[in-house]
Formats: sequence, C-alpha cells, structure tokens
Amino acid sequence: MARIDRRSFLRAGAVAPGIVALSPRDRAEAARLAATAEPAAPERLTWNKAPCRYCGTGCGVEVGVENGRVMAVRGDAASPVNRGLLCVKGYHLPAFLYGEDRLTKPRLRTAEGWKEISWDEALDLVAEKFSETLEQHGPEAVAMYGSGQWTVFDGYAALKWVKGGMRSNNLDPNARLCMASAVMGFVTQFQSDEPMGCYEDFEAGDDFILWGNNMAEMHPVLFSRILENKRQNPRVRIIDIATRRTPTSDYADLYVEFRPGSDLAIANGILHLLVENDKVDHAFIKENLVFKRGIEDVDEIGYGCYGEQAERYTFKDKGRDSSFEELRAFLADYTPDAVAKISEVPAAQIRALAEIYGDNARGTVSLWCMGVNQHSRGTWMNNLITDLHLITGKISRPGNNPFSLTGQPSACGTAREVGTLSNRLPADMVVMKEEHRKKTEELWNLPAGTIPPKPGYHAVDMFRALTRGDVKAMWIQVTNPWVTIPNLHRLERKPGDGRFVVASDIYPTPTTDQADLILPSAAWVEREGMFGNTERRTQHWDQLVEPPGEAKEDAWQIIEVAKRMGMGHLFPWPEDDWHKPMFEEYRKFTLGVGKDLASYDELRSTRGMIWPVVEGKETRYRYAAGFDPYVKKEAGVHFYKAKGYGEKAAFWLRPYHPPAEEPNDDYPFWLCTGRVLEHWHTGSMTRRVKQLHQAVPRAYVELNRADATSLGIKTGDLVHIQSRRGELRLPAMVDGRGKPPRGSVFVPFFDEGLLVNRLTLDAMDNISKEPDYKKCAVQLTKA
Amino acid sequence: MCSAAHKGLTAAFGVLVALAACGEDAPGADGTAVEKTPAIARAARRAFDGAPPVIGHAPMGAACTACHNAHGMEVPGTGFAPPSPHANTAPPSAMSRCQQCHIYATTDAVFRPNAFAGLKQDLRRGERLNKLAPPVVPHQILLRENCAACHTGQAAREEIRCTHPERTRCRQCHVPAVASGEFQRPG
Repeated sequence: MARIDRRSFLRAGAVAPGIVALSPRDRAEAARLAATAEPAAPERLTWNKAPCRYCGTGCGVEVGVENGRVMAVRGDAASPVNRGLLCVKGYHLPAFLYGEDRLTKPRLRTAEGWKEISWDEALDLVAEKFSETLEQHGPEAVAMYGSGQWTVFDGYAALKWVKGGMRSNNLDPNARLCMASAVMGFVTQFQSDEPMGCYEDFEAGDDFILWGNNMAEMHPVLFSRILENKRQNPRVRIIDIATRRTPTSDYADLYVEFRPGSDLAIANGILHLLVENDKVDHAFIKENLVFKRGIEDVDEIGYGCYGEQAERYTFKDKGRDSSFEELRAFLADYTPDAVAKISEVPAAQIRALAEIYGDNARGTVSLWCMGVNQHSRGTWMNNLITDLHLITGKISRPGNNPFSLTGQPSACGTAREVGTLSNRLPADMVVMKEEHRKKTEELWNLPAGTIPPKPGYHAVDMFRALTRGDVKAMWIQVTNPWVTIPNLHRLERKPGDGRFVVASDIYPTPTTDQADLILPSAAWVEREGMFGNTERRTQHWDQLVEPPGEAKEDAWQIIEVAKRMGMGHLFPWPEDDWHKPMFEEYRKFTLGVGKDLASYDELRSTRGMIWPVVEGKETRYRYAAGFDPYVKKEAGVHFYKAKGYGEKAAFWLRPYHPPAEEPNDDYPFWLCTGRVLEHWHTGSMTRRVKQLHQAVPRAYVELNRADATSLGIKTGDLVHIQSRRGELRLPAMVDGRGKPPRGSVFVPFFDEGLLVNRLTLDAMDNISKEPDYKKCAVQLTKA
Repeated sequence: MCSAAHKGLTAAFGVLVALAACGEDAPGADGTAVEKTPAIARAARRAFDGAPPVIGHAPMGAACTACHNAHGMEVPGTGFAPPSPHANTAPPSAMSRCQQCHIYATTDAVFRPNAFAGLKQDLRRGERLNKLAPPVVPHQILLRENCAACHTGQAAREEIRCTHPERTRCRQCHVPAVASGEFQRPG
C-alpha cells in the first residue's frame, strides 16, 4: 500500500510568508488527504476497460470506479485504436451518466399527465399493445426503431423478437440515417458489407483523401493518427474535398471546394483522366473486376420526397453487365472542363486529384462519412470512390483502401453485422433470399416460413407509416427521432391518434415527450455490452456499476416483453447469465462465412478483435493474400464474398445527378447540417456534461463573411432562416470554426431547442433510402 | 549543489535556496512571489483528475502555440501562458489539435444539473524511500510527457518546482506509481 510522506507534506504546508506555495484551501484539502492515510487517489479506484460510448472510432478507455460510481476515465494506452489519446467527449465520458434528470422509473402518459408505474405493469402493457396490434392488424402494423448505439446484445434481442417472434420485418435502426449508403456501397461491389482496411492504414498511407468529411471534429482520434503519420513522414498529404472549410481544412495540403452534390461529377472526372492517361491497372482489372451499370433515368428514380413520390419510397435498382469499353464511352461526358462547370472546381484541381489517385508509388486512402452517405445518390458516391481504388488496384493493401468511417459506436457491430435493418439478417444475409431465411430459422429453431420475405419499412418510411396510421405500435430504443428525422413537421402526433409509442432512453428527450410509455434504460458500463467499430473490431465491456433507480438494459426490456407475448422460447437462457449464450448463438451466423467473430471469452479478455477471426487470428486486411485466411492465393486479392460476380468485385458506372433541391432566387442559400466535436448526435448525453455544454451551448448558423456583410449580420445576431418546410431563428456565426463558401450555410443538429430538421428535406438515396441532410435551399434575413 | 533540497532543509526554504542555486529565475524580479492560480482553482477547470482542463481564458484569435510555446510566454493582461506538457505539439502531430481536448467555456449556465462527483486531484507529495531518494511521481502522466512544462520555468508553482531542471531525463529517477501494494511472489 502506498504510504504518505506525511512529514515532508506538512513541511510543505508550513510555508514562508510571501511565497504562494499552497493556498489555504489547498492546504486544507492536502491535510485532509494526508490524515486519511489512504492510497493515492487514482490508485483507490478500480480500473476496467471499455470502449468509449460515443463515435464509431471505438477508442479504448479505462474506467475508474469507486463506491459504485464512475469517478474518472483515462485513454487506454493498451488499446490499439487510440493508444491513450481521447477527444474532449471521451475525456468527459463519466459525467454523462450522472445528469440529475436521469430516467429511473417507467412512466405512462395518462389524461392527468405522466404517471410512474412498475416494471411489471410497463412490460405487461407493451406486450399487450403489441400482441393486440398483431392480432388486429398483422405484423406490418408493429415496428421497432433502434440504433447504431445499441449493443450487439440489444440488437440481437431486437432482431430475434421482431423477425423471429412477431414475424415482422419492420425493424430499422437510426443507422439508416447514417451508414446505409456505405452498406449498400460495399454490398453492391463486394456482396459483403464493411471496409477491407483497418486503422493501420493511417500509418501506412501517403495520401489521405477526405470526401466531404470533417474528420478533425468527427473522428478526431483517427485524424490525430494521420497527423502523427504526417509528423513522422513529411511525404504524407491530406486532401480535403469539401463544401465548407472546417478545422480539418487547416491541416490540408490541398483544399478542393465543390458545389454540393457535384462530388459525383468530380469522381467521374478523376476516372475520366485515369482512363484517358492510362493510369489504370489492367492486370488487376482483368483478374478481379466485373463492370456493372444500373438504372440512370432521373425521372424513374426520383428522390423519395414526401408528397412527390412516396408514401412509400421503394425504388429498386437493376444492374446489368457493362464493360471497360462502355466505361470509356460513358466517361466522355466527364472531361475536366465539363466537370469544372458542374462542380465549380478548377480543372487543374481535378487533374491534381487524378494524379494522386493515379500515382502507383504512393499509398492512397479515401475517407468519407456523412457527406457521402447522407446524399440523395449516396450509394452511387460510395461506388465511385471504391471504383477509383478498384481501377487503380489500390485496394486491400496496407495504405491503399477505400475506408468508410462509421458514425455510431456499433453501427457496424450491431446495425450492420447483426443486421437490424428492415431488409437484413445477421452476417450479410437478407430477408429476400430464401436460403438466408432458412439458415436463420434453423439456427433459431423456428419453423420454416417464420420470417417474411418482404423487407419492412426503412426509417423514414416507418415514421411516415406511423403518421399515416399504418404502423400502430412502435418501440424506439437508444435514439431520438423527433430530433433527427428530416422534415420533422411531418412527425407531429395528434392526441388520441390511436398509436402506441414506447421510448426507452436514459434522459427525457423530444422523443420521450412524444411517447405514450417511457422506459428507463441502463447506459454504457451500467450494463454488460459489446460494440463493433469502424475497423471491424468487436469490443466487449463488463458491467462496472449499477444503473440508477430501476433503469434496465435495453436487451433485457425486449426479452421480458417477448416472454410476456409467449415468445420466451426465443431467449431460452438463464435469467442471470444470458449474455454469453446469446452471443455464442449469434456467433454461429458468422463462422465459416468470412464474418467470423471471436469467441465471447476472447473478446472479454482482449482490447477487441478484428473479424474475420479464424483460429484466434485477426484479419487486418480483408480479401488480401497473406492477411485474410479465406484467401488461398499466394499474392494479390480475392473478392471471395462476391459469389454473384464470379468472386470478383463490381465496378459500377454511376452518373452525376443534381440534388433534389437547389437554391434559386427565392431560396438562395444551400443549407448543410451536421455535428460539432463537443456534442454527440442530439446532445441528450453530452449536453448534460457541464464542460461540453458550456463550450457549445446552442445551435447557430455559420455563414460566409461576405454574405453576412451584405445581409448586415454579424456574429451573435439572430438570423431568420426559412426553407419551404419550416423556419428557425438562430444566432449567426461568422468566421467560426467552420467557414462555408458564399451562398451556403451550416447548422449543427444537436440542439433540441433549435430543431434544424424542421427545415431539412426528406430526399433520400435511391438505393439505401438514407436521407440527404446536407443539401436543401433556404433564405436568410436578419431577425 | 542542486541536491540541496534532498538534504533535509525545510521544503519551503529549500525551494528558494535550490532555485537560486540552480540558476533559475526566482519568482518575481524583486524576490516577491508571482501570483499563481492555486492548485484547487486549477483542478476546478477539470471535470476530474485526468480530464483535460477547459481553457482558462477567452479566445485570443491566435494559434494556441503562439503563446503556449516551448518556453511559455507572459501575455499582458491575461497571465503567463505555460508551455504545453505534451510532446510534439507543433503541427502536424497527434497532439497538435489542442481543441480536440481543450475547449472554451462560453457560458456559465448548465443544460440540466449534473451530480457527477469525479476523482479529486490528490495534492499529496510523492513517496520517497528515504530523504535522499527521489520521490515517485504522485500523479498520472496521461500523455503529459514534458515534465518541464509544469515543474520548471515561470509557470511552475513553487511546491512542485524542480530543483534541477538541467537534468532532462526526469523519469530516469522519478517513476509514476501505477499500482498500490507491494511485490508478492505468485502462488
């Protein structure tokens, strides 16, 4: 036990006059500590590992617990993800658990207001309402809306209850708003979701090309890894292709500013130059690629906006075979000059980008997140970025990869891998394929034909269906749709609308405000969990403290409702020890199909492992000989998951389409929305952390100095901002951390008091059905 | 000469003597003390011991490293800007995005009250084997590898001021205690 050098301390306390050594308060605190003769403060704590609660990076933290409360975290130096470093959200993690308005008891909406009820009453009520809805209206009238912040356990319980128990495919996560375009990008090209590279690409690469990605604020620890690589290797370059200057741009060697939506044209412009200058890898193409082309008619595809096309947006792409020769002809439209006209990017910059992608001597890593995914042609844009790597052979090699960054901590581990989307099942399987349904039913011991073949509602349509009344009972967990769904006006509920909405959360939010029943959830280390991060790393943590009051983990809530609906057979495990058997059952889906997860025990004892894990060995580079145990070749790559393409990757020809809404004389400004470093999504956690709230206490509108001057607006002035759908008054920010170009404004979406999604348009990606939060038209006036 | 403090002089006078002996500027030109932020006030800038402090001044419209440079800088009207305790803060580097971790408070208000207690900074001195032995580091390092930033120079509070700043391999002699308890053979 550490002993105190009490005498030397006391001497230090007895200071000579005139020297400020310890203040009286410090002396009192130090004397108190010295008198207690206990170990040094950090040593008193019990430290355990956990991944950070917030983003998809999946930083490792050590969690310090004393007397049943989390007292501190520190960056986990043993974590290969972050090596001891965190960002400001991560450093302030423990405080989010202790907001004084934590939900601690189930609450039911009554005519007299909210009434606290017991768990038994609450669970009985949920079971009764869902059973009743199933009986009267069938499985299309129930829905569950989940989250990329669900643990693997939560997501698996939800999948099994909704698809295996209620025989409905109306299960979709908020990851639909976030990662769905990346999913469809990887699936259309490799017939298997998720990136081939890993974070070691950040040290192995030379050129880091960021497509619409403010990485310094959104994946700060990963951006730090690139900056550290740049410190050690001056050859490293950062290329920021963006629609506004951000803190990321400050570090860029090349900043390319483009007209919103024209990234499609820029990527085609780069492909044009690569083909024209013969900077393509013909041997790689011959061995590993097929060419595909889909539906390109803009009228046939549409944008899925409310009222225009869709009560239900169900456009389906149809691929046909194409060829390198057809590609050459297709690209004739995308000369540097033509692209410059569409994108407002100088032709010289397009040539510079083509030189970077075409330079075989340098490693190229493309990075993207919401700019590309929240895009009315987001799957296309994902395809085009990967096309750039496929045509140059810069893929599945250290330092050469298209690397999609994930927003949420388990968008990969839960939403994508467990498959909690309306069309998916675990490990790359889909409900539309009979053999996939059959395998799932067998592993779940369910009769053939249990799982319906028709995909359920995707997120936006699910809420449209709720508004219409086609969905009558909905359960929402770990997410806040009444802040995040685009064109929020559409979501307003009317009293007595006959729907039953349950929301599980840890704090009151605009979503719990709209619910009929609120269930209090346990968060993060108040329960056991697993997250899967952006580099395919699955990370486990133990429960370290008790949840407050009667709060319970989300998976438990689902299991208890399922039992009350007569679906207890889905969860046949001991009540006090179900995590391990549940995970081991889920793991069976992943083994032998190239998605192999490590065992529960391996995950519990390591800082996470990167799948596929075969015989205890991780796979840092998928599809790559020498790295991936599924590749039997001596060298090169083998896209073994793409059975439908003859085990080759698909290069998709994808044209430029204009955005769904563009500025005009009445609405002359682009509106882009997004996050800030300090806040996680809708701020329900981070705003309750004093330091984070005080840094960014409210939303604001960033505008260009020239626009501000011509409108007579300066920082702090209230601005009236109006779209065709709604209006908002926001304080202006000129020359803040982000600097939009003329004719463009940016508003963060975290502020439940200033809901920017009352302005946004519900245009969607045609393939992934992910909304485009980055492009609509607004007008501004000084308020 | 610089080991004067090790030889059992009382700490307070030992610091003064050692400062002079080591050729470091005594606080204040005329020997009077420089006003320094007390340890508890500094601790209050952190959510808990180990959290990065929020920035203690208003934005100045300059790069952080303009003032928080290798030696620190007196900023008229604000105070002394200490050097960064992190290694390699010059951009680009992993630690060059200061505001990835250090943020400004732009309001005193809170969104909702919060009962987080947080680990309090332990202000006791590092344990010594005996009076001649170097004390162990009594705090967590947590990426603050540049000991000199806080323990030498104008920013150093007297009670933690190093008596021998010319010896730059601090952790050759001062090791952080990362565990409590004593060695026990397994089994």
